[in-house]
Order: sequence, then structure tokens, then C-alpha cells
Amino acid sequence: MAVGFAVGVLGVLILSHAAYSTIQYRTLLKITEEEFSGPPINVVFELLLGLVLCMWAALAVPGKFQSIQLDSDENRVVSLPSNLDFMIFNHRGKAFPLECTLKSK
Amino acid sequence: AMAGHDDSGASEKKASDFDIPTFSNENMQSNMKVIYYSRTFMSIIGGVIAGILGFTGLMGFIFYFLVMAITSIGLTAKAGFSIHSYFDSWNRIILDGFLGGLLVCCSLFKLFLTGIAVTVLNLHVQHINLS
Repeated sequence: MAVGFAVGVLGVLILSHAAYSTIQYRTLLKITEEEFSGPPINVVFELLLGLVLCMWAALAVPGKFQSIQLDSDENRVVSLPSNLDFMIFNHRGKAFPLECTLKSK
Repeated sequence: AMAGHDDSGASEKKASDFDIPTFSNENMQSNMKVIYYSRTFMSIIGGVIAGILGFTGLMGFIFYFLVMAITSIGLTAKAGFSIHSYFDSWNRIILDGFLGGLLVCCSLFKLFLTGIAVTVLNLHVQHINLS
């Protein structure tokens, strides 16, 4: 997570440098009275690199996907309550199909 | 027969007779949040890049769609290409946050395009004043 964040910061810094280079380039163009047709090739490379790094950070930083299947290993809620007074048996389980896989941790 | 529970022919009943689509809702919403953050950040970056490159009009829209498409592919890869263990439909990963992201992208694009143009103008004026 921290690595992803560092990558993102690096990407943003590279993009900022690309913006700065573009400003310099366009100022130069204005001085020589030329039209801005496109940025210099190194700016394009910087933007591409910044895009790739930021894409990586965008996918890595916000967190992992958690499984939504109720019978996946991380979602099992199989636990016998230690307190015998509060066991509940009258729940929605009877609405589910009869076939079940008995899996316990 | 007891209410809500049908015992007749229990030995013949298959799991596919009941097709109750159930999933962990809080995990689903947490996954949606992850997608939202990823998309919003990439919309910002897309807007910044489009502004720096000076992509106006149709080019800008095409660029935004491209960035969003790549983001969708990235999200799909992050989910290990098995979408149904993390989401209830493909639309989540493809469409969600698309329009809101467009607004963010356009804002950042405008910001950077005009910001760069204004800075260049100011520097030019300064340069003229000095020389």
C-alpha cells in the first residue's frame, strides 16, 4: 500500500515536471511566434510514464477486492458461540436450499 | 406442512431450484468504493494530461474514454478476471463512475489547459517587459 502510494506520488511529480516543461516550451514558441502544434517528444514520454505510474497507484492504493461469495474462505461465519445462553436457531437459514457443503475451519 | 419450509420430495431437490442471489453486501459496497476511488483518481490524471497536451473537443473525449477503458481493464485484472466473486454484474466494473469521472476529467482539463495558457502568457509578458 505504501509502495503504491510512493509510486503515485512519483507519477504526479513526473506529470508536474511535464507540465513545467510544456510551459517552458510554449513560452519559447510564443517568443518565436510559432503555433503550438504538439508538445516535444520528451514531454510525451514523460506524460506516458506518469500515466503508467499513476495507473499503477490507482489500482494498488485504494485497497483489495473482498470476495462477496458467502461461502468463500474469508466470509465464513462459522463459529460456535461460547455462551450457550444466546444460541439462535430460528434464522433465515431455512430459506436456503437444502443441499449444503459442510465445511468448517 | 410447516410454513416456509417444504419437506416433500426433499431427496429430489437440487440447489438450482432455489436461485436466491445472495452475496455479502458490505463487501460488495467496499469493492464499489475501491472502484470509485480508482476511477476518480484516473479521471483527474486523465484531465491533467489532456490539459497539458492541449486535447480539445473530440480528441479530449476519446482520450478520456481510452483512459477509462484502460482503467476498466486494470480493475478486471485486479479482480483476477473472476468478476462474479467480487461483483454482481459486469456493469459495476465497466460503467460505474463513468459519467461522474467525465465531469472530474473535464474540470481538471480546463484547469490545466487554462493554467498553462495563463502562465505562458504571463511569462511572455514578463519577457517582453524585460527585453
